[in-house]
Amino acid sequence: MEQLNYKLCPEQNKTVIRLNDYASIPMNELNRDYQEYLEWVAEGNTPEPADS
Amino acid sequence: MAGLNLRGDTSGSVEIVSPAVAGDNTITLPNDNGSANQFFKNSTTAGIVTHSSMIEDASGNIGIGTTTPTETLHVVGDARVTGILTVGTASVTLNGNDGTISGINTVNSVSFPSAGALSNRNIIINGAMRVAQRNTSATSVTTEGYITCDRFYFNVNALGTWTVTQESDGPDGFSKSFKLDCTTTDTSPVTSDACLIIYRVEGHDVQQLKYGTSSAEQSVLSFYVKSNKTGNASVAIKQPDNSNRLYSAQYTINATNTWERKTIIIPADTSGVINDDTGNGLQIEWPLNSGSDYTGGSHGGWKAADNTSRNASNLGLGGSTDDYYQITGVQLEVGSQATPFEQRSFGDELLKCQRYYQKSYDYPTSPGAANHEENSMMAIATGSTRLTAFVQYRVEMRNDPTEVIYGTSGNSGKYAARNSYTDVGDASVPNNHAASTGFHQVNVTSATTGDHYQFHYTADAEL
Repeated sequence: MEQLNYKLCPEQNKTVIRLNDYASIPMNELNRDYQEYLEWVAEGNTPEPADS
Repeated sequence: MAGLNLRGDTSGSVEIVSPAVAGDNTITLPNDNGSANQFFKNSTTAGIVTHSSMIEDASGNIGIGTTTPTETLHVVGDARVTGILTVGTASVTLNGNDGTISGINTVNSVSFPSAGALSNRNIIINGAMRVAQRNTSATSVTTEGYITCDRFYFNVNALGTWTVTQESDGPDGFSKSFKLDCTTTDTSPVTSDACLIIYRVEGHDVQQLKYGTSSAEQSVLSFYVKSNKTGNASVAIKQPDNSNRLYSAQYTINATNTWERKTIIIPADTSGVINDDTGNGLQIEWPLNSGSDYTGGSHGGWKAADNTSRNASNLGLGGSTDDYYQITGVQLEVGSQATPFEQRSFGDELLKCQRYYQKSYDYPTSPGAANHEENSMMAIATGSTRLTAFVQYRVEMRNDPTEVIYGTSGNSGKYAARNSYTDVGDASVPNNHAASTGFHQVNVTSATTGDHYQFHYTADAEL
């Protein structure tokens, strides 16, 4: 299974980037990719921080 | 001759007894024209009824307005039933009191559902597998996802390797099907290993089932299936809004390599309310194979979540590279009668699919293809890290989608300077400038204010 990796965007953007395909995932719990991201975090993973 | 009265006592009956000899036993009736109350009205020839308002012939046929009834009841002229007329052993009823007809399956070869609407009765989107916006074929599939046919999800977890295609094959009337073809086997799946097809129905689209109320409706799932394997298989229906309440049923593939239509009656559920929202209201699963976590249970009525019943009848696909499974003509409708598949236009079906997934590319072009001539988006840099574009989705999506920006050379997360078509930088869509209707900003690594740029996009709001 492909290892997922994520990167945060600046907080005001309310977006997470999935680095595998550079998908822009909205921080919306109805979005299944965001649900997958939350599960990934719950498993103890940490996204890359947003660019400063 | 004086009038003749035959009158019984208060508890007896009036009898006319035939003579105790063989022959033509007749009753000679008056030969005038009679009155409206007469049952028989005969001719001037005694013993021969030549004209009658109602007659029973020697075979027991009753004629009204005819002397030669050809059916048990034969009426020449109009008829009126002010109550309920029941016809046939299937109990077709015509109710003169409330004006309803029930029990009808087809009229002039047009089929009718037993409940619900005539049009748009199929709750399933892309049931004929004609729409495949992402791709038509993918090889070496070992992970789950929406891969080819829109709306149909292939969930594979440590159970073989598969080629997934939108196949140009189907039963009569169908040009496409969804095919899973095993290329690397797993002969002994264990515990949570599984591969299955999943279809998720948006909560808004199943409110007509009235689940969780005393008037909850029965529904029927029908589909065509073809496989190299015969035997029993499972279908599971889950209610995510109700802690995955479950109904599962068995169907049987009777012949190898042959399209067969299967029908699953789904009982009404008076217990579980399905939320009227954009969430996953009803999940339909076709397990192809699984480990013990999903087998060993039983089929039957709605019950609390029970993983072991989801694949209680395990088809066991994936143990051979000969194994494949094809499905098309998927229909879910209210009622107990599986009607013929409701064929919708390709355009209608595509628009319905685009509520869940859409792209800027022309339909036949897969996302990620090098392409700058089709409907690529034009944007102007309004800052060194910001492109302003106005992307209006073809239809409003289910919710805020996941967007992927593609450069015109086909690289995801990139964008291209207009006319150079060279993919550069990183590109993302900030959700504070996006919605279910579109987006108007793309954040980029570097841009020259005032210059024009191009990109393609995909937007995914699947369940």
